[in-house]
Amino acid sequence: MEKKIEIKICIGTLCYVMGGSELQLLAEHLPEKFKKRVDIIGSTCLDYCLDQEKYGKAPFVEINGEVMAEASINKVIDYLIKKY
Amino acid sequence: MNTRKNFIDIDHYQLNKNKNVVCGDVFLSKKIKEEGKIIAVLSDGLGSGIKANVLATMTASMALNFTSNNSPIQHTAEIISNTLPIDSERQISYATFTIIDIDYDSETKIINYDNPDFLLLRNQKFIPIPENSIEINILGKNKKMYSFDFKIQKEDRIIVFTDGVSQSGIGNTNMAFGWGIDNVKIFIIDLINKYKFISSHDLAKKIVNQANNNDILKPRDDISCAVLYFREPRKLLICTGPPFNKFDDNKLGSIIKKYNGKVIISGGTTSQIVSRLFNKEIHVGLTLDHSGLPPIAKMEGIELVTEGILTLGKVSEILQNINTTEVNGEGAAVEIIKNIFNNDIIEFVVGTKINNAHQDPNLPVELEIRRNVVKKIIKILEEKFLKEINLHFI
Repeated sequence: MEKKIEIKICIGTLCYVMGGSELQLLAEHLPEKFKKRVDIIGSTCLDYCLDQEKYGKAPFVEINGEVMAEASINKVIDYLIKKY
Repeated sequence: MNTRKNFIDIDHYQLNKNKNVVCGDVFLSKKIKEEGKIIAVLSDGLGSGIKANVLATMTASMALNFTSNNSPIQHTAEIISNTLPIDSERQISYATFTIIDIDYDSETKIINYDNPDFLLLRNQKFIPIPENSIEINILGKNKKMYSFDFKIQKEDRIIVFTDGVSQSGIGNTNMAFGWGIDNVKIFIIDLINKYKFISSHDLAKKIVNQANNNDILKPRDDISCAVLYFREPRKLLICTGPPFNKFDDNKLGSIIKKYNGKVIISGGTTSQIVSRLFNKEIHVGLTLDHSGLPPIAKMEGIELVTEGILTLGKVSEILQNINTTEVNGEGAAVEIIKNIFNNDIIEFVVGTKINNAHQDPNLPVELEIRRNVVKKIIKILEEKFLKEINLHFI
């Protein structure tokens, strides 16, 4: 069986305030073809916000270990379509 | 309310005599923090309605204040009965009272003037306490009061009620002279066997409701019952914020590990520290609710794991706006408040490390310093909800 794509959504205070709260709805907006291929989990602060010069700005999402800054539902979906 | 080691759960429940809008029985209690004393008074005013309520209120508040000033009981009783207004129909001034005075050393003194005998419940049995009679002079007549001295023990309950309870159902075919203290005792023992840790409020309410049933739901007298339950306080620990120094993380861990009560962790980083120390995983739910707060997470052995500063800010806001211990709604803040109201002693352990990421002036919301939010919450809990609070910074 194909390995699932793991999406980790940071719900630390900063990410949450900067738009992470909206990301919790990601599952509802995923295109059909990804719905079964993706695991969405929440996470406490992933610590990327401690070094914003390096990683960019909150909110952060981790997709299969790769960090995405200033994440939004559309940005995540575009990334998934491009990469998978 | 608590003494140095123990906690007393005090509550009462009342029903008015049928068709009356106020109760002619009054129960008052008071904690004197400096002396570690607790005083409670139950008074039944002559008659019913407003007149009885005035008599009972005067009696109860005088008894409470004189007793808290350590005034001798004869003196108190005589002043009370000489002060009360005289009933125009019956030409007497009269209100019964029971004074309960418990000091920090568990020394208990109870004075009863014309109320039904109080009950002391210990290990599911009623313990008889020897009485001393005290003569008092009330308006030229000699009257008797009874005083009882004993040491209260953990898990004891003191139950006092007015004659509305013991005389309920009077005239019914199965209880010609009313319910009677012996039957009240049997009723209470049955309840305690069923619910060993029943709260004072629930016990008082059940007794009063049964008395009301005896009167076929039309109380023939004001019915009141008060319960004092001497028990181990229920404790809640709320940890929020990472310790200022990293090497104090272990200290936080050991506080939680040794804690004898429920634990709430409010803060993402704080929960990560605890998760690392205890080697327990955090499961973050992604369920949205209407509170607009980050979701609740779960960790084995911890009552509740939430986000930190936004949630606490909401807790402070909700507490400010409510006046009863009934909270409705959903979300992390409401869960924290429900836990607070279910416990007697609330301890806060606040880590003072500043989260630099929160200091960005471009942030769309005001993220306050944790210490200030916690202080606000504590002030409300102490002043409005009379909780005992301990606060530590690490």
